[in-house]
Amino acid sequence: MVERMIDAGAALAGLDPASLTAYGDRRGDDAATTAWRHRALAALTAVPFPDRVRHLWRYTDPERLLPRRLLQPSGPAPLAAALPAGPAVRLEPGREPRLNDAARSCGLVIAPLFADPADRELIGRAVPVDHGYFEAINAAAFGAGLTIRAPRGFGLAAPLRVVVAADAGADVLPRLLVIAEDGAALTVVEEHTGGGGGGCVIGVTEILIGANAEVRHVLVQRWADGQVGHLTQRARLERDARFFGATAGFGGAISKVDLGGLLAGEGARSELVGVALPEGRQHLDHHTLHQHLAARTWSHIDFKVAVAGRARSAYTGAIRIERDAPGSEAYQENRNLLLSDRARADTIPELEIHTDDVSCSHGATAAPIDPDQLFYLRSRGLSAPAARQLVVRGFVEPTLRQLPADLRAELENLVDARLARLREVG
Amino acid sequence: MNLPTNERLLSCRDLRVFVDDKEIVKGVDLEIRTGEKHALMGPNGSGKSTLAAALMGHPAYRVEGEILLRGEPIAGLSPDERARRGLFLGFQYPVAVPGVTVASFLRAALAARLGREVPVREFRQKMQAAFDVLEVPKNFTGRYLNDGFSGGEKKRLEVMQMLLLEPAVALLDETDSGLDIDALKIVSAGVNLAARAEMGLLLVTHYQRILDYVQPDIVHVFMGGRIVRTAGPELARELETRGYDWLADPAPTATARG
Repeated sequence: MVERMIDAGAALAGLDPASLTAYGDRRGDDAATTAWRHRALAALTAVPFPDRVRHLWRYTDPERLLPRRLLQPSGPAPLAAALPAGPAVRLEPGREPRLNDAARSCGLVIAPLFADPADRELIGRAVPVDHGYFEAINAAAFGAGLTIRAPRGFGLAAPLRVVVAADAGADVLPRLLVIAEDGAALTVVEEHTGGGGGGCVIGVTEILIGANAEVRHVLVQRWADGQVGHLTQRARLERDARFFGATAGFGGAISKVDLGGLLAGEGARSELVGVALPEGRQHLDHHTLHQHLAARTWSHIDFKVAVAGRARSAYTGAIRIERDAPGSEAYQENRNLLLSDRARADTIPELEIHTDDVSCSHGATAAPIDPDQLFYLRSRGLSAPAARQLVVRGFVEPTLRQLPADLRAELENLVDARLARLREVG
Repeated sequence: MNLPTNERLLSCRDLRVFVDDKEIVKGVDLEIRTGEKHALMGPNGSGKSTLAAALMGHPAYRVEGEILLRGEPIAGLSPDERARRGLFLGFQYPVAVPGVTVASFLRAALAARLGREVPVREFRQKMQAAFDVLEVPKNFTGRYLNDGFSGGEKKRLEVMQMLLLEPAVALLDETDSGLDIDALKIVSAGVNLAARAEMGLLLVTHYQRILDYVQPDIVHVFMGGRIVRTAGPELARELETRGYDWLADPAPTATARG
């Protein structure tokens, strides 16, 4: 283990206290931010490098996700890309976060991370500095950081779109803190785009959901070819809070996405749905965690993966029901469809239950398309590629149907575009 | 569809079907002409379903001999190409395709059959007309294809598709099995309606029951991978009273027609 840490340390060359201070000075960090970074660096040396024997990292080599140019100034700021309609923020390397008018006037408080002293104590509540190796790297060396706050009782139906642009050949470490105060409701669509060969994104999104508040969060990963990255998202739910998380994985060469909900308050409800469609030689790894910390909490996961070409998917899903969570219910389902002989999908459920009086179940499958389905559809005149496309679309349809109507169309379009492409490449 | 009357719609010559090198269908000659209703009857395990699936181009079967659809050889064509040229197979066990609605499937199938995009209005009209014949409730269209359907619902949807797609030749594999008497009458009405439109029909069945409602022109008895007897509708009635055993002649006497 010590040897591995030294290896990783070499990969993280430049991440030492002096250069971290210099980085903060260059960025104009205040004292609180700098203190946070140094605490994270201390944590990083104590957090073990991911152990590949454990389930969480069994299928993905963490060394391939390590950033190589931390703290380096990125190249010249790219041309300002247009922001989408509706409330939107764009995070891109080498620039301040950009908000459009709709975002400024939507009633949410959107500010750089650490700008409001009140937020400082909240940073790290859902994803602590020592959550894991990559989360510690993000905490120490994060670049663009943003707080999005829905004040008490405030509700916004329109989604706030956060576009996180990666940078080809550079390390990008975004960090988001989404806060729904008691009784508030908001929707955030976090979209990771851009990047490319050699680029690395290490992102952390914390979502704090107050009592009887509701957050819907959509995470769309559509990096360019060759991008690598590690994204962590955790929601922490207080009493009677509700979380709906949707994720869609499309792009990049290697990506690991760690999603989850911490059900900390009695009666909290968390639902996660996910769709991943790796192709070519892509490697997409997803982990989910629902941790039930309070009584009568409810969680549900539906994760669908269709793997084409020589691509590979790994899914590890953990449910933990702690001693203080009687009367809780948890369900987790992961279904994988293999579209070629060389496609591979691994799925591992992990259930840890420390109390009686719970209802907890899971389902996991991995199978190729049923040849009888193909013959049936082809006997109605559909070509083999068209028949396959229809079966795959049907496979993900029940999952997409769980998305609220206002968020569904966009994901459906992305899925359809990917399936049309798969149809062409076979 | 403008078919010359009495056209040879489907012809098989010395058709043999192999599954894993085992010969299941052992030399079948068959000819179906415009508007003809053929019943292919035989005991379970005689290879009837294999013959029907092989005619449709099931990829797991190896076929020797000739299959002509309206005079054109189709034995080397994919199932979808056969379907687009007007061959239809009604399945004994229609497979469920979860997540795909009946409406989206039917629209894709109709577009494939017609070789063009089908405008929504035209599609709805055609679909409704076919549904009406089969007395199918409206909520069918939003359900996932055959997913959780009762046996009777599946069979109605098969016959509904036959009406919608207007094939030149339909092979109906045990479409009568699993139907109660009311459903059988409705399904038979659909079959008769399609057959009036000059379609050629091969009704593969184990029981005589459906032949009370669909009057076949020609009845074949299929046993041991061969057609062992071909006659008029009176043969079906004879089978009803005498069963199949009396035809189990060890020496094959395959008869050809036409």
